[in-house]
This record gives sequence, structure tokens and C-alpha cells, in this order.
Amino acid sequence: MLDNLGTSLKDAVKKLAGKTVIDRAAVDELVRDLQRALLSADVNVKLVMQLSQAIKQRALEEEPPKGMGVREHVLRIVYQELVRMMGTPGEVTLGPQTILMAGLQGSGKTTTTAKLARYFQRKGLRVGVICADTFRPGAYDQLKTLCDRISVPCFGDPNEPEALRIVREGLPRFRKLYEVIIIDTQGRHALEENLIEEIVNINEISHADHRWLVIDAALGQQASEQARRFHEAIGIDGVLVTKMDGTARGGGALSAVAETQSGIVFIGSGETIEDLERFDPDGFISRLLGMGDLRALVERAEEAVSAEDIDVNAMLKGRFTLRDMYKQLEALNKMGPLKQIMSMLPLGGMQIPDDTYDITSTKMQRYKVIMDSMTPPELDDPSVIGSSRIQRIARGAGVTPDDVRDLIKYYKIMQRALKGMRGMGGGKFNMQRMMKKFGRTQ
Amino acid sequence: MFDSLKKKLQNIRTKFTSNIEEAAGTEPVPPVAEEPEEVQAAEPEPSRPPQPEPPVSGEEGPEEEREKPTFFNKMKVLVREREIFLREKDVEEPLLELEMVLLENDVALPVTDEIIARMRRDLVGQQRKIGSSVDDLVVATLRSALCGVLGEGLDLRDFIEGRERPVKILFTGVNGTGKTTTVAKVGHYLQKNGFSVVIGAGDTFRAGAIEQIRTHADRLGIKTIQHQAGADPSAVLFDAVQYAKAHEIDVVLADTAGRFHNRANLMNQLEKIRRVMKPDLVVYVDEAVAGNDAVIRADEFNRAVGTDAVVLTKADMDPKGGAAISVAHTVGKPILFLGTGQGYDDIMPFSPRVVVNELLGDES
Repeated sequence: MLDNLGTSLKDAVKKLAGKTVIDRAAVDELVRDLQRALLSADVNVKLVMQLSQAIKQRALEEEPPKGMGVREHVLRIVYQELVRMMGTPGEVTLGPQTILMAGLQGSGKTTTTAKLARYFQRKGLRVGVICADTFRPGAYDQLKTLCDRISVPCFGDPNEPEALRIVREGLPRFRKLYEVIIIDTQGRHALEENLIEEIVNINEISHADHRWLVIDAALGQQASEQARRFHEAIGIDGVLVTKMDGTARGGGALSAVAETQSGIVFIGSGETIEDLERFDPDGFISRLLGMGDLRALVERAEEAVSAEDIDVNAMLKGRFTLRDMYKQLEALNKMGPLKQIMSMLPLGGMQIPDDTYDITSTKMQRYKVIMDSMTPPELDDPSVIGSSRIQRIARGAGVTPDDVRDLIKYYKIMQRALKGMRGMGGGKFNMQRMMKKFGRTQ
Repeated sequence: MFDSLKKKLQNIRTKFTSNIEEAAGTEPVPPVAEEPEEVQAAEPEPSRPPQPEPPVSGEEGPEEEREKPTFFNKMKVLVREREIFLREKDVEEPLLELEMVLLENDVALPVTDEIIARMRRDLVGQQRKIGSSVDDLVVATLRSALCGVLGEGLDLRDFIEGRERPVKILFTGVNGTGKTTTVAKVGHYLQKNGFSVVIGAGDTFRAGAIEQIRTHADRLGIKTIQHQAGADPSAVLFDAVQYAKAHEIDVVLADTAGRFHNRANLMNQLEKIRRVMKPDLVVYVDEAVAGNDAVIRADEFNRAVGTDAVVLTKADMDPKGGAAISVAHTVGKPILFLGTGQGYDDIMPFSPRVVVNELLGDES
């Protein structure tokens, strides 16, 4: 479903490609597809309507600047409006500060607190964490365990029922010793008035410099309402989006940002303590729309894939060798996953089996090492690799023969996928022309 | 429950009714006044203030009528004498509005599309005597659309009764949806209904998870089977089942670590758990506030390890109820419970008929 949406949006954009004058019907269609993409990414319905109105109006009224095609013009407007909606990325100062974490139950506050502690610790600051979650069983154990792993002190008492008392006790003590203090709180939602009152009190006595709202990427239309009430209660000045490593697209966070007039500060995208990223609007937009990165679509493709990096034509003719795959794996570091590269190519609704992409970054690394142990003839023609060669390669790369077979299997899947793609493209000639066009315009 | 959706649906219903009535050139039927029903009346809720705003009955309806009288007067010509012949145009606007209402209430896009399509198919071209109430027609259509989507409920007690002991229930879901809390609540619910329960602490990954389930279980007086953090969850749950067999315990509740459906390794681990403990019931836990992603992950979980029933948690956060509709539609499996708060009693058996009646008023 995700892919379909991205595709229909891409189709709509493609329709604009050949046009010299802006066509109302084409813009209408684009806006409608955009609406659907945003709605299915859980962006607030009202926000979507405002946005699409703005885009429509600007696309129809503004003259494209000289030398800019209609397609680029409209895309630029879409991009600008989305960026405007997203607000500026929230500020993170690297200095002494107190941060109060707020959010719904199960949005990932505790995990994110530990990740933040790690972030500031790596920036060379002394960090202390206070566990003010006195309700959920195991909350203190969880935070303590996570903090112990990174040697960050954690203040709390699982037997103390008053969150306020913990903050009142812990804060002065930690303020003397540490520069950054992060207060983790219990999950609450906006209708639980006594809990809202509690966080208002914690906010008051802690004089927190930042009050960050943690939002689950999968949160739906409810995000606006919850964010609004949290904002009313304690004045949210930053939003943290968690669980971006799933398939949710985080539109709820966008609603929260619009509601609190703040910005997204960090993005949590994994289960280990290092998986916290600073917010990058471009990447976020691309995910939101389910299509390749709008701006980077143009820029990044140019710098990362020069013609020799990936010989698209050779690939499509089926002459896809291990060498190509090696280059691809290298390009991945620069450009992001293969799927994204593919989504940047104007291939329309081409279906590529999902297991092709199902390859983790550690595997990528291993594959590269294995290929480094191969001879040039083997790289050019993988079919010569027999079992004795597999043995040799495995020994050279320090892996098991099974790993080498795994790589070859992956290569074969890729090859088949690309061959299939050629067949589906409606004739080779057409396909190649499209590829060439891609090479030029991007 | 689902107050907000209910309120909106009633507005829409009023609008449909008035549109159709005007198409027939007669006076609109006044909207049927709904009494604000409190589903949770039976459920004691000691620690929390009462639920949100009571439903307000339709306000948009009358405005709509004033807006387009001429259009509908024209429509009169097309209407056969004393019969309503519904055309696509008549229902277009209210359907669009219904679509927005559903989307605003977190019903996922594909599911919304389907409900709308079903409504359109059923309504357009319908002929009805004025005598037969238009209201009934609309409500029946919406009801059948929603009922079709929500499917049948499942009574856990009956399910357990009809099974060989111990009945093994496995809980799955993504991170932070409330699996552990739900396990505790279900444990409490079953205890209240006279079943003996043992809990397997299968979340060996998240820091503090074992302590969490342990504390819950101790409070409820339920035995927990646990290993150390980082142990193989299959082994823990296998032991839990063995314990239940040895001690003639009725139900094994198996907690698991939250995992994302796009992590092949973790899904394989879950598959292994399923193989090892052979659950009678795989319960997928998700939150009622989840948006469109609810559909995607419900589908993935269903494909990877199967799902027999669904529990929706956090339904007390000003519940929109859309996720219930989306998930039920996607998985095609009954919803077992709604989680409605932080207390052990805050769990409510889910009955689709009751919910639809809640949303649309009782079947008369």
C-alpha cells in the first residue's frame, strides 16, 4: 500500500513533466494524490486541507521562474509548503540544561531518555537522569539498566509513590554534579487530569529549560489534540518522534509540531541506545510522501551516482555482475538503501520483490568483505564460482562457506529482479530511453 | 466509548437523512435524539474522572439544509411520485463528508475507501416509498457497512471453556502498545471469572520488562515463570506451559517483547515461539490511537505468525475508534478486548454489535 501511494504521486508528478503551461487538471490531480499520501501518513486532516489549498493556489497563480520547468516549479512549491508546515528543527543547545520528557503511555519516553543521555554524553557533557515515573512497575529498573550500560547516574526510588518528591530531592543534588539533567516521567494522556496536574507541578519545581513531547510515529489523528493539551499544560518546545524504524510515517508528529508551534528535535529509529538522530526535514518529507527525497532527488543523485558507479544500461540488459553489486553496495553508504535509489528512478509502478531489499547493513558489510576476496574473473562472471572457490573465498574473507553462498543467492535474486524489470518496462528501447532521460534530467 | 466518532456519525446520519428527504421534496425528519450512553457504566473506575464530553446531537444538519434548497428543488423533478430514487449526486456530498469523518477518526485510508464504496453501492439507485423511513434506510446501510467491517466478537470465557487445559494465549505486537499491561489485565479478568492463570515473562529483551510483569503478577497474586534478561523467550514460555500442565492451571498468558514487523529476525523469533509453545490463541495487541500504520503492521503480524484475535489498548485517550475499524477489517479477526485505563479492571470485552449500536443508536 505504501508503495502504491508513492507511485501514484510519482505518476502525477510525471504527468506534469512534459507540460509547458500549468494545467489545472494536472495540478488538481497532483494535489489530490498529495492529500491521500499525507492522510495515509496520519497528518491531521485539517492540516492536509490547508496545505493542499495553499499548494494549489500557488501552483496556479505563481509564474514559474525563467528556465524552470513546470514540473520542477510545482515540486518546489510542494517542497516549500511542506517545509513551512514542518517548522524549523528544534534547537538543541550543548550546555547546562534541564529537560523534561512528556508523552503518552508507550510512546517510548524511557528509552528515548536513555538515548538522549547518551547523545549529550557523547557531546562531552556530564549527564544525570531522574526517573519520575512512579506508576509503571519496572520503570525505574528499565531506566537504571539502560543508564548503567552507558554509566550515566540515574536518580529514583521504585518505592516512592510521589513523583514530585523524587524530583524535589534529586534535582538539587544532580544540579551540583551534572550539566544536563533529563527527567523521565510517567506516560499520561491529556484526559487524565490528575496526571496532567502532576506534570504541571513537576515542570514548575524543576524549572525545566526544555519540555519535550515524545510522539510515537504511528500515532494517528489523535496527535493534534494530545499535543495541544500538553502544550496548554506545560508549553512544549520540542517534539521527539520515536519508532521511526517501523513502517509508520510520522505524520502525527507533524500535527503535533503544528499544534505546539515548535520543531522536531530528534528522531528515534531503533532499539539500541545509539539510535537517535537529529531531525532532517528532507528525509522526513520523503518518508511522509512515500516517494524519493524531493530535494535530494535532484541533488544527491547527481553527486552519488555518477555514470560509472552504476551502469544502468548494463544492468537492464541483464549483464549485472558482482562488480555492479559491489558498486551498488558502496553507493548505498552515500545514498541510502537500494529501495530508495530505485524509488528515485522514474520507473513508475514497477514491482520489485521485497526480499530483494531485505538485507541489513551488517550483511552489506560482510558481502563487501567477501567480494574483496574474489578474483576479477569471479567478479565478472559469478557462474564460475564452484564449491572449491567458495571454500577459498570463505577462508580469505574469514566467513563460513554458507555466507558466500548466501551472497551468491542474493546476487541471483537481484539479477532476476532486474531482468524482470526489463521485461515489464514495455520494451527494452522504451526503458533505456527512460533511463537516459533520467540520467540527463537528474 | 468512541464518543467522538459517534457524535460525528450522527451528524452525518442527520445529513444523509435530510438530503434524501429533500430530494423527495418533503420535510426533513428531525434527527433522532440519542441519549448519551455510558458503555463503561458497569466498569468501576475509581481513580479517574469521568469520560469526556457527552455526545452532542447534530448541529450541522440544519445548516446544510439552508445551503442548497434550489438544488434539491430541481431534484424534485427527477423524483418519481412519492418515491425516492437516489442518484449518485444526492449522496456524493454526504459521502465525502463521511469520508472525512472516518479519516479524522483514524480509520485507515484503504478501509475508508471500502466503507464509502459500500455505502455508495448500496445507496445509489435505491428506491424507497416515502412511507418507509429514510432514516432506516441510511442507518441500515451504514450499519451493515460497519458491521461487515467489524465482524463478530469473541468471548474469551466461552473460548477457554471449550478447550483442553491449559489454554495457551500468546500476545504479540509492536513496541509500546501495552502488551505487558494487557497481559496483567487479562490475567485479572480471567481470575475474576474463576480461571487459574500463570504468566510467562517472555519479554526478555526490554530492560525492566521482567520486573514490570513480575510486579503486576505479584499484585494480582498470579504466578510468573521467568528467566533472566536476555534468555530465549521460547524457553521461558515453554517452561510456563510445563508449569501449567504440572499444576493443572487453566490458562497460560505469554507476554513477548515488542517488535517491529519489518525486522525479519525478530519476526522469526516470534515464529519460533509459536512453534515451541503452540498457542491456542494468538492475540495481537495494538493501540486505539494508532493511525494508518495500524493496518500495515496488523497485516504483517497476521502474515508472519497469524492472529486469532485483537486487543486494542489506550481506548481511553479520547477514543476515536477508527483503529478498531481498520484493524478488524484488515486482519478479519474479532476484537477481544478494549483497554480503557491504567487500572487492572480497565478492560472491556468488545462486542461489535454493541459498538455499532453505540455509534448509530439501537436497532429498533
